[in-house]
Amino acid sequence: MAAATLLRASGFFTLWLALDGGTQAADLAIGLLAAALATRASLALSPPVPRRLAPLAMLRLGLSVLRASLVAGLDTARRALDPRLPIRPGEAAVPFGLPPGPARDQFRLLASLQPGTLPVAVDPDGRLLVHALDTRLPVERETRAVEALFAAASTQGAARD
Amino acid sequence: MSAALQFLGLLLAAAGAFFFVAGSAGLIRFPDQLSRLHALTKADNLGLGLVALGLLPFAAGVFAALKLLVIWALVLLSGASAAQMVAERVRAAEPPA
Repeated sequence: MAAATLLRASGFFTLWLALDGGTQAADLAIGLLAAALATRASLALSPPVPRRLAPLAMLRLGLSVLRASLVAGLDTARRALDPRLPIRPGEAAVPFGLPPGPARDQFRLLASLQPGTLPVAVDPDGRLLVHALDTRLPVERETRAVEALFAAASTQGAARD
Repeated sequence: MSAALQFLGLLLAAAGAFFFVAGSAGLIRFPDQLSRLHALTKADNLGLGLVALGLLPFAAGVFAALKLLVIWALVLLSGASAAQMVAERVRAAEPPA
């Protein structure tokens, strides 16, 4: 809990320094106050959950997201500019591997950065509906691969604090 | 060194502009609303990332550079969330055949 508070407070203060750019004592005092209030709001709105973060897996996830968003941009740009407009839009239902909750929402955010896929909704059977720009792509396999990377980077429940 | 970095930055920013053009082409050419969201979330995100990276060598200091990265991250987050919310509404209004 104390670690989470400190981590969030220093994050908010760094953010303030980046946004404000001032280095006068008065600027810094207001920055500290703002960071303290933001931390309080943050802890109230999103209490720290006991979760074990695996740095190496997070790095792997980060690199994979960067690479995916590069591939996704290139792929979408190519399809948009190709005179034949090679797309075949459609939907795929992908069963969730993650339990409901914040982890699922965070995973959906990441999944929308993947090439050719956009999570749209959750169907009545609890599957994630993914809109694909081209249904000939392995949508389900790629979505599940990201989910596995995400789950490896953030293991909930295995508490330390 | 800094001139070389700035030249590289200009190249990156130009590449970013290309992806904005491609994203806009997709926005106009793609046939349905959900596909048009792909054009916005994928091509434009990459375009903004490249422009932000390209501007880094021109930033006045560490915090100015950090601000560019914060802008990129915030747009990624809000773009990804907004796209999914729009997609959910579109889909509820007109379920696919």
